[in-house]
Amino acid sequence: MKRNRAMLLAFTLPGTILFLGMFVYPLIRTVFMSFFSIMEITDPVSRWHFNGLGNYRSLFSASLFRQSIWNLLKIWTLGGLITLTISLLLAVILSSGIRGKSFFQAAIYLPNVISAVAMATMWIQYVFNPSYGFLTHFFRAVGLKQLAELQWLDGEHKFWALLLSYCFGMIGHHMLIWISGIERIGREYYEAACIDGAGRREQFFHITLPLLRGILKTNIVMWSISIAGFFVWSQLFSPLTPDTSTVVPMVYLYVKLFGAESVDAISRDAGSGAAIGIILSLFVLFVFQLTNRLLKDDDLEY
Amino acid sequence: MRAIERKRYSTLHLGRELRLLPGYLVLIAWVLFTAALLFWVLAASLSTTAEIFSGEVLKFPTGFHFENYVKAWVSSNVSVFFGNSLFYACVSCALLILISAPYAYALERFTFPGRRWIRSSLAAAMGVPIVMVIIPIYTVVARAGLLKHPSSNRIILILLFVAAKIPYTTTFLGTYFSNIPKSYEEAAAIDGCHPIETFWRIVFPLARGGISTVTIFNFIAIWNEYFLSLLFVNSDALRPVALGLFSMINGMKYSGEWAGLFASVIIVFLPTFILYLFLSKKIIGGISGGIKG
Repeated sequence: MKRNRAMLLAFTLPGTILFLGMFVYPLIRTVFMSFFSIMEITDPVSRWHFNGLGNYRSLFSASLFRQSIWNLLKIWTLGGLITLTISLLLAVILSSGIRGKSFFQAAIYLPNVISAVAMATMWIQYVFNPSYGFLTHFFRAVGLKQLAELQWLDGEHKFWALLLSYCFGMIGHHMLIWISGIERIGREYYEAACIDGAGRREQFFHITLPLLRGILKTNIVMWSISIAGFFVWSQLFSPLTPDTSTVVPMVYLYVKLFGAESVDAISRDAGSGAAIGIILSLFVLFVFQLTNRLLKDDDLEY
Repeated sequence: MRAIERKRYSTLHLGRELRLLPGYLVLIAWVLFTAALLFWVLAASLSTTAEIFSGEVLKFPTGFHFENYVKAWVSSNVSVFFGNSLFYACVSCALLILISAPYAYALERFTFPGRRWIRSSLAAAMGVPIVMVIIPIYTVVARAGLLKHPSSNRIILILLFVAAKIPYTTTFLGTYFSNIPKSYEEAAAIDGCHPIETFWRIVFPLARGGISTVTIFNFIAIWNEYFLSLLFVNSDALRPVALGLFSMINGMKYSGEWAGLFASVIIVFLPTFILYLFLSKKIIGGISGGIKG
């Protein structure tokens, strides 16, 4: 094919410019900003003050920020365990030759196409409502009185309510990723196992699970990327002020940039905001490297 | 293969179905819960606030209150949010295809300096948390005064939505173009067709499956977008649905219009839900197809 310089430019320039403007330039500048103390987000460079690692140090000495990191890590590990196991379970059920597979698949994935604000509102205003909510009615109907009277949205239980409702939506997405992996495993493995007399449980632990290592990696990385951007759900569970049980780094960052009426303790500082961005990106990078190292799958060909 | 499998399913093996029973129960319980959630919100949106609080949502003692929808649409400004989201999503999706399709094609078919770097950076950018890039962009945009006027504010929003989705859209379309045989372009070149024309008239239509899938995903993402709008929308009149809904929830304490809130939730929920009803096969295929093991 003849190379055509004008065409090449016309085809690649708009995309490249937007990419450089949206990702490359801001990324580099964020790294610099994280080492300066910057009062207002709109301050010109001349009003930045070099602060070295000071932003990072002051972030980690602020108890609300430490709490936000702790919450994020809890969501990442506990939520990750819940989401990835349940989604794997559903994926295995769906791949076992069930009728109506595409209907169930579509119904379970549904929350992912709905606005998170609408989804969270349904959970907060209906499922967790203490007087007319779903859980109260459900537990009362099955006779679990203590659970029926649980105040899901009080300070003590709010985190778990948040975690549960968030995972419910994410499970559908991760389930589809698992299914795409399971479907790629050749039938001959299972046929051979059947001949050797392996039962369903043995087939799962000795064939399905080991061959899904690559997919597990994809799932962990995707989960971590979503968790690094965790924001809407936290804001909806504590709409007006960041609350220690549900605060996450992005909420803290938002307050750092724009302030909040009720949080005087957090001083506005765009430099620290940039440092939060760096911390979250490093978190994703770290998980990516770690899963690559722990879950090497190139020795497996299938 | 498919046909054979289907045939096997259609003959009822009682033993087999019985073995699958626990699986069915889990799936049915899951779907029933989802359905209960949606039906209750739908029922609440047709009740009065008093009925919601007295737990009479599914009884409709005073009939259906469609006026909740009228109120939400007109006096709670949901129509404005709805129009905004529709505008942002449609314009951004069109721009994304106009920019990303040729971009992906050029990156797939031509060799030029920087090609490898661009391809791997685009892939890497999909893992970059948005907070990592948003602060400098805000600085530049706000200092240039672009958030002061509604029209420039709108343009900035659309540019942000488009730019944020360029890596995903381009990477997604790249795999589609790589599966289209080069022979079409070679034949067109022999016939004297200009490469630009070849792309738009021959290759682009061949990739329509991928283009429509990626557009559905982009549409849903932009329709539901929250964080960028929260930062960059400077006036109530420019709010998209997610942000409008959030401001309504915050105002609930004062207005107490719970039935209206549920009506708004349904209005916000409907467009993507309807899209999903018709296109769920394509959407689910698009996710499974994009996964590399």
